[in-house]
Amino acid sequence: MIKIENLSKHYGTKQVLKNINLIFEKGQVYGIVGENGSGKTTLFRCIAGLEKYDGKISSDLDKLKNHLGLLLTVPFFFSKITGREYIRLLCNARNIPTGDIDERNIFDLPLNQYASTYSTGMKKKLALTAILMQENKHFILDEPFNGVDIQSNIIITDIIHKLKELGKTVIISSHIFSTLSDTCDEIHLLKDGEFIKKVFKEDFSKLETEMKETTVSNKIDKLGLR
Amino acid sequence: MTNRKLIDFGLNPIIGYILLLIGFIGFSYYLFSKTEFAEYAFILIALSFVSKLSETKRNDFLKYCFRVTEYRKLRLIENFIIILPFITFLVFKELFLFAVILAILTSLMALLNFKSTFNYTIPTPFYKRPFEFTVGFRSTFYLFFFAYFLTFMAIYAGNFNLGIFALLVVFLVSLSFYSKPENEYYIWSFITTSKGFLFEKIKTGLVHSTVLSIPILTVLGIFFLSEITTLLIFQLLGYIYLVTIILAKYAAYPNAMNLPQGILIGISLLFPPILIGIIPFFYLQSTRRLNDILG
Repeated sequence: MIKIENLSKHYGTKQVLKNINLIFEKGQVYGIVGENGSGKTTLFRCIAGLEKYDGKISSDLDKLKNHLGLLLTVPFFFSKITGREYIRLLCNARNIPTGDIDERNIFDLPLNQYASTYSTGMKKKLALTAILMQENKHFILDEPFNGVDIQSNIIITDIIHKLKELGKTVIISSHIFSTLSDTCDEIHLLKDGEFIKKVFKEDFSKLETEMKETTVSNKIDKLGLR
Repeated sequence: MTNRKLIDFGLNPIIGYILLLIGFIGFSYYLFSKTEFAEYAFILIALSFVSKLSETKRNDFLKYCFRVTEYRKLRLIENFIIILPFITFLVFKELFLFAVILAILTSLMALLNFKSTFNYTIPTPFYKRPFEFTVGFRSTFYLFFFAYFLTFMAIYAGNFNLGIFALLVVFLVSLSFYSKPENEYYIWSFITTSKGFLFEKIKTGLVHSTVLSIPILTVLGIFFLSEITTLLIFQLLGYIYLVTIILAKYAAYPNAMNLPQGILIGISLLFPPILIGIIPFFYLQSTRRLNDILG
């Protein structure tokens, strides 16, 4: 369980998160949606302890960050480190034995190649593989489907289902609504640093329609495409 | 880029360039006074700097921005700016042939692009504990071969000082692996305290630098047995500076090492006992910085 109480975050005079209160329960998958710049990544960084903030973030585990698998929007890789070494580095960091990496390479990544030469989707899959092998209790997946091929999309969706089954807490952000409706139990809508709506599974399609209406409306017509 | 790096380092670019020039002249004199093969090393060092400008992505961008002739001119000018101090020094030393060779090689390198994303993965003995030595070794492995070659020449010529220089090359290159701060994610991921994190970094650094330096140490120890004390002192100094650099890196984190740190380390080179004060100072700063991330 992750509990967020009165969370606020400022960058200088700009307030990017406004008094957020939320509980993420075990065995549940939460979707966070919002426009670019709405504060999703900042929220994730605060939960991970990578940003200073006002308010309180707690969990049922001793130290949240030590049990948290964080998949960044754009994972960072050193220029001359192979996929295998990246996994080893992240497992070493958590004192977890890697076991047979090849057997657990479910995305068939070229693990002996430098990770920096991977495509966007491959990088995402490598970073996801590494945090899964860390045996975390909680997961924050910032746009896990970004740049990933259809086959891997299906695998990632199944992985999220499996994590839920195992009683893990999963928080996902995605700009692809279908991926969220396939995986999440709840979706929270973030706007200008505030959660303005919470929607349960049965109302996902209603939310999608609503979002289309409010965000797209007649904007496309303004382009004057011919 | 160099200007920006100097400013980040806390140095006025003009002063920075003057210091770099003084450092270059001092290093060149030292190199030429220590070995008869200095001109070869000099050319290799110059070309290693030039090769940094041959990176494919950078050059693809330049090709996109400029026409072919302008691009070629630009590459030539850039390369010659880099080697100008080297050529000047070679001419000053009346090593005209080497100056011409360097100029030709530099011109040829303006035509080359080194693809840093090629598929071949350079093997490294440090794959089990990534990342500083894993990445660093792959980027600079030729310098270690160069150091081993110098060791061979030191024994061949009976020149102990050259052997010490080879040992210093290994440690200097190892120190350079810690010059850039890593992405915070690579610190955040660790489940340890700041003390534990630093201890692990230092332990890995010492073990890995030993792997690289032990062949030189052993061979020099055998062939210059009477100088074993001097040899061990240099090895120990190498370790001490490695620890200092690791601590200095995290003392400045998330920024790169800064001018005051550089000055302190510079002073310690002239008067090593000052390290007794510098090391605990950097250690305290490092733990404070790391606590912010590791909690």
